[in-house]
Amino acid sequence: MGADIFEISINIIKILVIFLLMVQIVPLLVWVERRGSAFIQNRFGPNRVGPLGLTQLLADAVKFLFKEEFVPSKGKKFLFYAAPVIALVPGALAFASIPLSAPILVDAFEMFGKSWGPYRFAFQGFEMGVGIVFVLGISSLGAYALLMAGWASNNKYSMYGALRACAQMISYELALGLALVGILLIYGTFDFAEMVAYQEGPLSFFFMGKEVIVPFLPNWGIFYQPLGAVLLFCAMFAETNRTPFDLPEAEAELVAGYHTEYGGLKMLMFYIGEYGHMLVASALMATFYFGGYNLPFISTEAVNAFFAGFGFSATKASIVTAFALHVVLFTKILLFLWVFIWVRWTLPRFRYDQLMDLGWKTMLPWALANTIITAALVLLMRTEWL
Amino acid sequence: MSPTIFYSLSIVLVVFSLLVVLCKNPLHSALFLALAMIDLAFIFFELKAPFIAAVQLMVYAGAVMVMFVMVLMLFDLKEDEESAFSGNPVINVFKFLSAGLLCWAISSKLFSYGDVAGLGAGKEFDIKALGTTLYTKYIFAFEALGLLLLLIAVGAVALSRTKGGTHDS
Repeated sequence: MGADIFEISINIIKILVIFLLMVQIVPLLVWVERRGSAFIQNRFGPNRVGPLGLTQLLADAVKFLFKEEFVPSKGKKFLFYAAPVIALVPGALAFASIPLSAPILVDAFEMFGKSWGPYRFAFQGFEMGVGIVFVLGISSLGAYALLMAGWASNNKYSMYGALRACAQMISYELALGLALVGILLIYGTFDFAEMVAYQEGPLSFFFMGKEVIVPFLPNWGIFYQPLGAVLLFCAMFAETNRTPFDLPEAEAELVAGYHTEYGGLKMLMFYIGEYGHMLVASALMATFYFGGYNLPFISTEAVNAFFAGFGFSATKASIVTAFALHVVLFTKILLFLWVFIWVRWTLPRFRYDQLMDLGWKTMLPWALANTIITAALVLLMRTEWL
Repeated sequence: MSPTIFYSLSIVLVVFSLLVVLCKNPLHSALFLALAMIDLAFIFFELKAPFIAAVQLMVYAGAVMVMFVMVLMLFDLKEDEESAFSGNPVINVFKFLSAGLLCWAISSKLFSYGDVAGLGAGKEFDIKALGTTLYTKYIFAFEALGLLLLLIAVGAVALSRTKGGTHDS
């Protein structure tokens, strides 16, 4: 946690703020989803309550809070209450382990008649050395919430939804993991911050052991692994249970799937969990394939030097840099979140056998091929032959 | 690894593992197994093996989920909830045999670890070393396990083919 009281308290505040960041972006996303879907379908959407319909969110919150409390009489009561809480956990933990900006370096300073040593605060909830493996492990726990909800509801439709969620998660997790292996081979690390550092500067790679630089493209993962990026993004849709992969809650067949019996605040928590998964997926896409929190061609040090040029002290320049780069990352994340919403209101839902065929017969072989070809190419390109 | 953390995690792990076998309801057992796996991942993490911890979460959490679904689909929960784990004499013999084996295995190792604080101390997480060890020292075991898993996959496909399914081959 930290060496002294200052570091510990800052770290605790940081964890809280990052969790609240995830929770508080949900109402905004719900608004974007409603208005966006309305515009895609040539409607107006909610536009009466407040400017642009923005205070509709407050009305929704009040509705969620004051809805009637309901538990199915023959359901498993404890699991019924536990499931929405568990739905929140994986998204929150995974999001907290992704770096949202460059670390803040604080020089030694005097406060309350004591000198406080130099600190380094990572701009993330907690630092895990194994970054992406941890995120994959945690997000695989997400399906437990749906399973528990489906089973505790004592409702056949809920149960079907839970079974579908489970089958879908197992099928797509393999493709998700394998799609990532290619890019991990190129970066040679599990750590998010090192990946972001790798993507600085113009596109440069080794060809037959000699360095080639393409000056007009940034050194982003998408140029090394276009297929991996597409596969990862598709698998992410399946992991978040969003259309076209929202079989677990297919309202045409299953009423509302695993959350048929849920209402009010418990329902809202499933919503937050889903949007949390979307947020994690977008952050992973941005970090892996689109340069993370860096601007193209501009390194973190350059941004820091730019702000130091305004006459800020080193600590202040570091703080301003971190927040500026945070805005950069969030712009990228918001773009991907918009793609999530855009796809949901554009594509129809898969049929169940199509879903399974896509997972096992299309995405898994392509991801395997991508892994093997990448491994061979990395070996060939980085070895000096002449 | 500090003894406080180790003992608290271990006690929780023992309790969850006991609940796995003591629960009447197979679904509760599966959920407790998942909790035990997560707890074990914490212990690995505290032993400075974060990669093993994450893989533990990924692999076993997924495996338990499959078991959860199997229980849901294969058991008639209303009737079998009570009778699933109360066995006949043959099953009891196997139960006692495996329990005895486990007790012997545990008791032979139980008192040889005195120094809890020393566990995992001085070790640094090194993924390259793990990979090198797997592919040099343990290459035969690794490949043999891979082959075994392939056999299981082929066997599962062969079994499910004969019973028909949703897809026409």
